[in-house]
Parts: sequence; C-alpha cells; structure tokens
Amino acid sequence: MTSHTVDVHADHPPIANQSSRVSAPVLGMFLFIASETMLFGAFFTAYFFVRVVNPEVTTWPPEGFHLPVFVAGINTAILLTSSFTMHWALQSIKRGSRAGMQAGLVLTLAMGATFLATQLLEYSRIGFAWGDNSFTTIFFGLTGLHGAHVFVGLSLLTMATVRAFRGHYTPEHHHGVEV
Amino acid sequence: MTTTEQAHHTQAPPAVPPAGARRLIFGAGWIRAAWMSALFAGIGIGIVTGIRALAGWEPVWDWQPIMTVAFLTAAPIGYLVGIGCFDYWLYYISGRPTRAEDHSSHGAHSWRDYFRVNTDHKVIGVQYVTTTIIFMLAGGLLAMFFRAELARPGMQFIDPQTYNGLVSVHASLMIFLFIIPAFAGLANYVLPLMIGAPDMAFPRLNALSFWMLPVAGVIMLSSFVVPGGAFAAGWTNYAPLADVNPDGNIFFQMAVQWAGASSIATALNFLVTIITMRAPGMTFWRMPLLVWANFTTSLLVVVATPFIAGSQFFLLFDRVAGTDFFRPDGGGYVLGYQHIFWFYSHPAVYIMMLPGFGIVSEVIAVMSRKPIFGYRLMALSLMAILVLGFSVWAHHMFVSGMATWLRVPMMITTLLIAVPTGIKVFSWCATLWEGRLHFTTPMLWALGFVSMFVIGGLSGIYLGAVPIDIHVSDTYFVVAHIHYVLVGGSLFTIMAGIYYWFPKMTGRMYDERLGKLHFWTTFITFNLTFFPMHWIGVQGMPRRVSDYVPEFANWNFFISIASFALGASFVIFIYNMVVSWARGPIAEANPWRALTLEWQVSSPPPIFNFDEIPQVVGNPYEYGVPGARHAVLNGGGARTEELEEVRAH
Amino acid sequence: MRKGAIVTMVVIGAIVGAVVACIAVFVDWLPEQASEEREGIDFVFWLTTWICVGIFTVVASLIIYSVMKFRTSPDDDADGLPIHGHTGLEVVWTAVPFILVTVISVASGVVLARNQDAGNNPLRVRVTAQQFAWSFRYPNGRESPVLRMPLGRSTELRLHARDVLHSFWVPQFGQKQDAVPGIETRLVVTPKKLGRFPVICTELCGLGHAVMRSRAIVMRPAAFRRWLARARANR
Ligand code: HEA
Ligand code: HEA
Ligand code: CUA
Ligand SMILES: [Cu+2]
Repeated sequence: MTSHTVDVHADHPPIANQSSRVSAPVLGMFLFIASETMLFGAFFTAYFFVRVVNPEVTTWPPEGFHLPVFVAGINTAILLTSSFTMHWALQSIKRGSRAGMQAGLVLTLAMGATFLATQLLEYSRIGFAWGDNSFTTIFFGLTGLHGAHVFVGLSLLTMATVRAFRGHYTPEHHHGVEV
Repeated sequence: MTTTEQAHHTQAPPAVPPAGARRLIFGAGWIRAAWMSALFAGIGIGIVTGIRALAGWEPVWDWQPIMTVAFLTAAPIGYLVGIGCFDYWLYYISGRPTRAEDHSSHGAHSWRDYFRVNTDHKVIGVQYVTTTIIFMLAGGLLAMFFRAELARPGMQFIDPQTYNGLVSVHASLMIFLFIIPAFAGLANYVLPLMIGAPDMAFPRLNALSFWMLPVAGVIMLSSFVVPGGAFAAGWTNYAPLADVNPDGNIFFQMAVQWAGASSIATALNFLVTIITMRAPGMTFWRMPLLVWANFTTSLLVVVATPFIAGSQFFLLFDRVAGTDFFRPDGGGYVLGYQHIFWFYSHPAVYIMMLPGFGIVSEVIAVMSRKPIFGYRLMALSLMAILVLGFSVWAHHMFVSGMATWLRVPMMITTLLIAVPTGIKVFSWCATLWEGRLHFTTPMLWALGFVSMFVIGGLSGIYLGAVPIDIHVSDTYFVVAHIHYVLVGGSLFTIMAGIYYWFPKMTGRMYDERLGKLHFWTTFITFNLTFFPMHWIGVQGMPRRVSDYVPEFANWNFFISIASFALGASFVIFIYNMVVSWARGPIAEANPWRALTLEWQVSSPPPIFNFDEIPQVVGNPYEYGVPGARHAVLNGGGARTEELEEVRAH
Repeated sequence: MRKGAIVTMVVIGAIVGAVVACIAVFVDWLPEQASEEREGIDFVFWLTTWICVGIFTVVASLIIYSVMKFRTSPDDDADGLPIHGHTGLEVVWTAVPFILVTVISVASGVVLARNQDAGNNPLRVRVTAQQFAWSFRYPNGRESPVLRMPLGRSTELRLHARDVLHSFWVPQFGQKQDAVPGIETRLVVTPKKLGRFPVICTELCGLGHAVMRSRAIVMRPAAFRRWLARARANR
C-alpha cells in the first residue's frame, strides 16, 4: 500500500543474491506495518494510562458523554467489506482480468471515502470537542489516527487505481496492488 | 578528491545536465528546493488559515498551527521534493513511465555530487558521517557556551531561558543528529559491503532518510531564533513543563518526528538488506558482528521509535489543539508522558550503543590479529540486550511517583543487563589475550572505549539500584553517567569507526600521529571533565541548573576549563580529517589486513561494490587459522574446487 | 600460563586495585548522613562500590597487561593464537556478574522496603511545590516555607504540585521524590541529626529551577512541639 514497492533492483550490476525466500518489498512492507502498529500501540498506551492508571478517572466515559456506537458499527462494517472488494481486485488481476481489478479498486475507493465522510460527519455532530477532557481527547486521538491512516491508504489506492486505468499492472507485475 | 580516481568497472557516464535556466530552476537541486520550500510553506499557511476561517476559529492567524503545519511540515516536504528525493516516485505514482534506472545517481564523481540526491549507499554513508560530525561540532559548541556560564556560580553571560535552551539543544543534537545517525552512516557505508551486496535494498528510501536528517537539525538549531527562545525543557521534554515552554518547544516536537522518520526508514532498510541481500554462503552465523549489531539495533528502532513519535504528537496536540492527554485539569495523566517517552528512549540508549559494540568488535579482532572471542555468545548477548532493553524503561522514573511496586521488577531487569554487557566486555579482553596488538588509532579508541564504557556502565549499576538512584537521580552523577556511556562509549566507538574506515571511504590514509594525539588529548581531558561530576552529583549538585551554591564553585571551574580543552582536542580531529582527505597518502585496499569483505575491494570500492557477488566460505574473524578464508571474490562457479578445499578445513 | 605471567598479572591487579580503592576510600563521597534512611542507602552505595571496584580492577588489569605483554611492532605481520572461545570461562563471566547483580538487587529491595515504611506514628506534612517555592503544611493547619521536623520521628511527606513537575531532595537525608500535578506522591524521612539542611528542587521546572530552594530544620522534639503550638497560637 505504499510507494516502497518499486522494483529497486531494476538493472543493478551485479544482481544481488536473494538470501531469503521473502522478497525485499514484501519484507519492507511488513516491517513498516510493524512500526505503524507500534504507533497505534503508543496511542493505546496513552489510552491505558488515562483510563486505567489515572486515579482521577472513575467513570468511563464520563457522565454526559456517549460513544456513537451505532454509527461506528456501520462504519466498521463498511471498512471490513472494503477489504473483500480489495481482495477481489487482487484476485482479478492474478487471473488476468483487468476489468475486474478496476472495478474492485473503484469499489474499494468508494467505500473508503464513505467511511471517511461518515466519520467526519459524526465528528461534527458528536456534541463534544477534543479539548473537553481526556476522554474526548483519547476518542479523537484514536479515531483520528485511524482516520488518517484510512486517508493515506485511500490516497495510495487512488494512485494504484490511476495506474490500473493506465494499464500498468499485468498478471506478472501486480506488486503495487498486492500490498 | 580521490573519488574520481576510483576504478569504475561498469561505470555509466556521468549524467550531463542539460544547460539552460529552465533546467536550473526546475531541475532537482538546491534552487528548486528553495522555491519549493517557500511555495509549500505558502500552501501550508493557506490550508491552516483556510480551515480556521471555515470552521470559524478565532483568531484565523494563529502562529502555533501555522508554524507547525507550514514551516515545520510543509516547507521541509517542499525542500525534499525540490532537492529531488521524490522524483522517481512521483513519476511512478502518476503512472508516467519511469526512467529506466541508468545509475546516473550512483557514485560520486566530484565533491559536488555529495550535495545532490544520490542513491549510492557509499555516497550516502559519507554524506551521513560528515553531516553528523557537523552537528556534533554545533552541539559541542553549545556545551562550551553553557560550560562558560557554569564556570562561576551566579549568572554571568546568559539568562536561565537561554541556559536551558542551550542544554536541551545540546543534548538533542548530540543524540538525534550525532550518535544515532552517525552509526547509521557508518553502517550505511560498510554494511552492504560486508554482506556482499551491491547496495542497500531500497536505495531511494536510503537517500530520503539521509535528506530528512538535516531538516531535523536545522529545525532544532533554528528554534533559537523563535520569539521566546529555544525549547528549554531538557531533551526529555517532560509534560507539563513542555506545555508552558515558549513556542520553540514545537521545534523539538517536530524535529523529533523528522529524525525519527529518518531513523525508522534506515532501520527498515538495514533489516531488509540484511535479511534478503546477503551473499551466498553468508549465513547469519558468518556475519561480522557489526552486521549483527546493526540488525539488533534496527529491530529496536523499528519497534520503539513510533513511541517517541507518539509522545511528541501528544504534546503537540496538547499545546496546539488544546487536547488533554497529559493535562491533569482535563483528566489527563502526567506520568503517561514519561512512560511513553522512556519506552522509546531507554531502548534508544542501546540504539546509541549496540552499533558501537559492533564497530569495536571489528577493530579489536583485526588489530589483535585474533578471532573474536566467543563469537556466538557475542551475537546472542546483543539479542539479550535487545530483549531486556524493552523491559527497563521505568528505571528513569524511580522517583517520578509512578506505581511503587513497579520499581523492584524494573530494577532487576535493569541490573540484569550487566550480564550480557559483561559478556561482551570480557570477551573483548579475552580477544586481546595472546594476540599481536597493533596500537593504531582505531585500536586506541576501541580500548579507550572498553575502559571508559565500563566506568559508565558501572555508574549505571548505581543508578539501577533504587535506593542509590533515589539519592542521585537528577544530579550531576547522572550527567557523569550520560557522558561516560555516550562520550566514552558511543563517541569513542564512532571515532574508532571513522579512523578505521577512513582509508576505505576516502581512499586516503589519515595522519597516524595526529590521530594518536587526538585520542590521548580527548581521553585525558574527557576524564578530567566528567569524572569530578560523579562527586559533585553525589554531594548535592542537581542537574539542569544555571546557578549553584558556592560550595561547588572550584570543581565547576575546573570542569569548565577541562571541557574547553576537550573541545580543543576536536580541532586536531577536524584538521586531520580535512587535510588527510584532501592530501593524505593514497591508501591501500586493505591496510589493516582484515578479512571482512569491505576490505577485499579497492579503496574506495567500485561503484557497484563487487563485479560479481562474492562467495562466502568461512567465518569473518579467522585470524591466525592457517588457510582460512572468509570469502572468495571474482570467482563464481569456476573456483568450486578451491571452495571445497577451504570448506574441508 | 607461565608463573612469571601470573606474577605480573597479580602485581598489576594489586596496583590498579589499590589506586581504585584509594579513590573510593579517600574521596569523601557521600554528604553528611542525617537520616535513618541514609543508613540503608549508604550501605547499598558501599556494597555497589566494592563490587564495582573489583570489576573495574579486573577489566583494567586485563587491558593493561595485554597492552604491555602483547603489543607488537607495526611491521609484524604474524597473527595471534586462534583461540575461538572457552566455554568454561564464558560460563564463569556470565555466572559471576549474575550473582553479583542479584546481591545488589536483594540488598536494594530490602533497603527500599524499609525506607518506604513510615512506622505507625508518622508526622504527616503536606508539601506543595509550585514555580518556584516550597510550602509545608502541618496537621494542625500551620503552613511554613521551611520544613521543620522533630528529631527521630518519621515524617511522611505528601507531595503535591500546582503547575509542573518538581522534585524534593535533601542530600543529607538521601530521599528524593517528584511532586506531580494531579496525583499525590509520598516520601518518608526519619531525621537523626539536628541541624539545617538544604531542600533542593531537582526536577527541571522552568526559569527559577536553579533557585527553587528551601531549608529543612531538624529540631529537638520538645522544641518542635513548642514551635508547632506557638504557630497555632499565632494564627
Ligand atoms: C549509550 C547510552 C547508555 C547506555 C549504554 C546506558 C547503560 C545503562 N544505564 Fe543509562 N542512561 C543514559 C545512557 C545510557 N545508559 C542516558 C542518556 C541517561 C539519562 C537520561 C536523562 O535523564 O537525560 C541514562 C540514565 C540512566 C538511569 C536513570 C537515572 C536517573 O535519571 O535517575 C539509569 C537507572 O537505572 C541508568 C542505568 C543504566 C544501566 C544499568 C546501564 C547498563 O546497560 C550498563 C551495563 C554495563 C556494565 C554494567 C559494565 C560492563 C559490565 C561488566 C564488566 C560485567 C560485570 C558488572 C557487574 C556485575 C555490575 N541509566
Ligand atoms: C552523545 C552525546 C553527548 C555528547 C558528545 C556530549 C558532549 C559534551 N557534553 Fe553533554 N549532554 C548530553 C549528551 C552529550 N554531551 C545529554 C544527553 C545531556 C542531558 C541534557 C539534559 O539534561 O536534557 C547532556 C548534558 C550536559 C551537561 C549538563 C547540563 C545540565 O544539566 O545543566 C553538561 C555540563 O557540563 C554537558 C557537557 C558536555 C561537554 C563539555 C561535552 C563535550 O564532550 C563536547 C566536546 C565537543 C566540542 C566542544 C565540539 C568540537 C570542538 C570545536 C567546535 C572546536 C572549537 C571549540 C572550542 C575550542 C571551545 N552536557
Ligand atoms: Cu521546581 Cu525545579
Ligand atoms: Cu535507561
């Protein structure tokens, strides 16, 4: 899902020895995801301290604050579905169906955009702001970080889609879609 | 400059830039970087004011978010785009055909090439090392300023805000722009060579990592010109002091993001390179210890660095957006900051030490003409430090008011780190035993390191023992510990590495007499400067103070004088480096008679390192073993009988 | 190993050990001891010091001996003995440090537990730190900018901070604790010497950090009681 996936060894003389079964871009992506996971970890750690360790917090969420559970549920469902359409896009190109891939990508894009739009709408109607107290701070922090990642993902996906429509991927060369 | 004389086996002709003003302005380079930074800053300002106007926030023109978004985020991105870090990717993304890789951006043909985006790991390595040395000098100079203030009790030259700013920027530059990236730079140069790879796994990402680095340094230094002064809450930037610091504090928060991004990207690159690009026969148990050291360090970086990014983001949000992560009045939890910060920053001290362990292992084995003692245990102890390193962060918080039950388990893990570290120290000593020691400059630094690091490590044991730490925490005893491990430890190993690989990197030999003079002056003045700090700390002098009681006047005066001499000793170093690089005698390919791969190619190495990927046939440190070989070069399949023969040994 | 080598080793070790031990003994390392907590702290300090003196002596003697014995001229291109390792030795230098740090841990743990214990009749003082001053409030409501304590009775400090982090330290008492906005922290001191000692803020807290100082005055219990009572009368 990022731009590290370029074919870096294009024509280096001499060809480097491939000393692992895993290819470099895939491993790189894996490590990148590990690192991102830790960033989420930092946010959850903040959550942990504010909620569990902090002696001043007794009720969570504080009285008068409600989590938008229903909308969040729908939104999660949208996001989960979008991974199926993404999978479909990938399968299509592996089987050589360019149209299938294009449709899959566009659908995924649309769902991601819906997710973000819903989230933004929810933010504006939620009735509290991030500066109100630590509960709202953590709420916006976690959902915001997640939203930002969906946004970055979507941007990269847009690029992949652009390339897909320009005919860049072939059954043999579809790394950009895979990750 | 000798780089032009290198043996270019398969060299592409240097790219001839098309002439013309258009090219000058729109081609990748410093001019484009300048106007693009301005342009992006403008866009940033537009975005911030636009959003604020739309959302109806008052005032529309608010310095804090503008500074953060426009000057500390957008403008650096503009600079990176302008200098050409993203050229390839932008083509790729927009679906335009990418230029076939013509390697025009490999190798340096004149000194100017060091000021351009270059994807050759050797050029990047040299860029890294010189840049970090410059930041070291800057950080050291700041130390000279505040040492001058500390020479006498009372306030002489500077006010407390400036003092705190100087100390904070000193430490931040030294840590984030000297030690960590200097190790990355040395490894950048030698690691691909050592494992027999033609380059790093992601050369463009590698270039990007390097070019992000000056951004962080310039941001830190420029915080001095912000109204209100530089960030002044120490390099640890504890909340809530950070929240009430002048706006310069944002500069720390953002600089750390840039340095952190650079460091994560490099670490990822090292890991992928080590895992996927080793030469045939280079099993993990045949890797030189420097490679092992960077492998473990990179794991630490990838896992831990996001936490400091997080901690600084939280501070930034608290300050700029008014959130309540660490604000007690809004239900935030102050100590949360320290936990998150140290969860990175303790592993960070091993990030600042493990690569040095690697360098020293190389130097000591080669200069003693002996195999490294207990190779496997050396590698395993690195791994042990890595694992233990994640479970000790709260030893920085023994007096912070965190849950008291956490102290004892953290003390036990902290003290246990002495065991794997001790294994390394004793193994180095045992490597000397019955060796034939050559006291070249790198060897002096390596032995200086072992002795000084033991002192620093042992003062760490005092700090790890909770009752003692309660007494000496936040005093000059800690300052002494910091400098024994970071100067006597990390800096000494970096010096060992620079002198050791200087002939490889520049193709010329440094002046051995000046090198030794530099070592001895630094070694002596270093001890004179920092050893007395143990005593004044235990006696009752707190750290981070611009003024102190007259009781400590004499010692502080002594320390200040010694520290100026310590600073002056680096003049020798700079002179030696500059003059030898320009005019030193041409170096042989393998002046140290080392077995590891980087010494088996010319000095400096050919653009693509090896004509053919070498075949690794044995361990890297088989000095004194008759007939032993580490690798066979330029042989490929033709030499299989020789390989068999070597294996039989 | 030849006998001569062993003798040289021992001599070097003795010299290095003597020098390091002199630094440990003849430098007046610790400030005056004025609290019962300091007894434990000083014990751990000296325990650690002797362990460290031993370790440093071993490492330094090894290096010095090697430097003297195994040095060679630059144009000697022979190699050393190819020793790859020695399991016995490796076990020893893993096990011995392990035991030593266990000793330090146990001693520290015991001392720590003792130093946190305020007994059953402590004097409770509420300490408030703010930029850049200390204030101490006694159970009877009396506030004072200096800390007065009765000799020999445990004083339990309950620390609070108004603005940013501060840290309470009296070197002669050896005890230190941060004051944290939003939570209460706790520290026990049992003074055992009459006198005036400096109270120092050790956590960077802003521009006045260096001068955020006060005094701790240890008084005879009777004098302390009189002071407290007079204070109440004054109010
Ligand atoms: C290169 C960086 C580096 C390294 C390697 C270390 C290594 C260690 N550090 Fe240090 N430390 C810092 C950099 C480093 N530190 C910095 C920068 C700070 C201050 C941060 C700030 O607040 O600004 C700090 C602060 C710091 C503290 C907090 C002090 C305080 O603020 O109150 C503590 C407490 O436990 C500590 C402990 C240790 C220990 C136990 C080790 C161990 O890893 C040391 C292990 C090594 C040895 C012990 C020597 C060799 C071993 C033998 C010869 C075997 C035999 C030994 C025994 C049996 C004891 N360090
Ligand atoms: C790798 C890290 C590193 C390095 C190399 C240094 C190097 C030095 N440090 Fe630093 N220091 C830290 C890391 C480092 N420090 C950290 C982490 C802190 C804690 C900060 C905090 O509290 O937040 C700290 C804090 C710190 C303090 C405590 C400040 C306080 O608590 O109030 C002091 C006090 O003396 C000090 C001094 C020095 C000196 C004299 C050097 C010297 O070694 C510098 C020598 C180098 C030069 C001088 C530059 C080169 C020479 C020239 C440019 C030539 C011209 C100059 C002259 C001839 C004068 N440092
Ligand atoms: Cu209060 Cu420092
Ligand atoms: Cu630590």
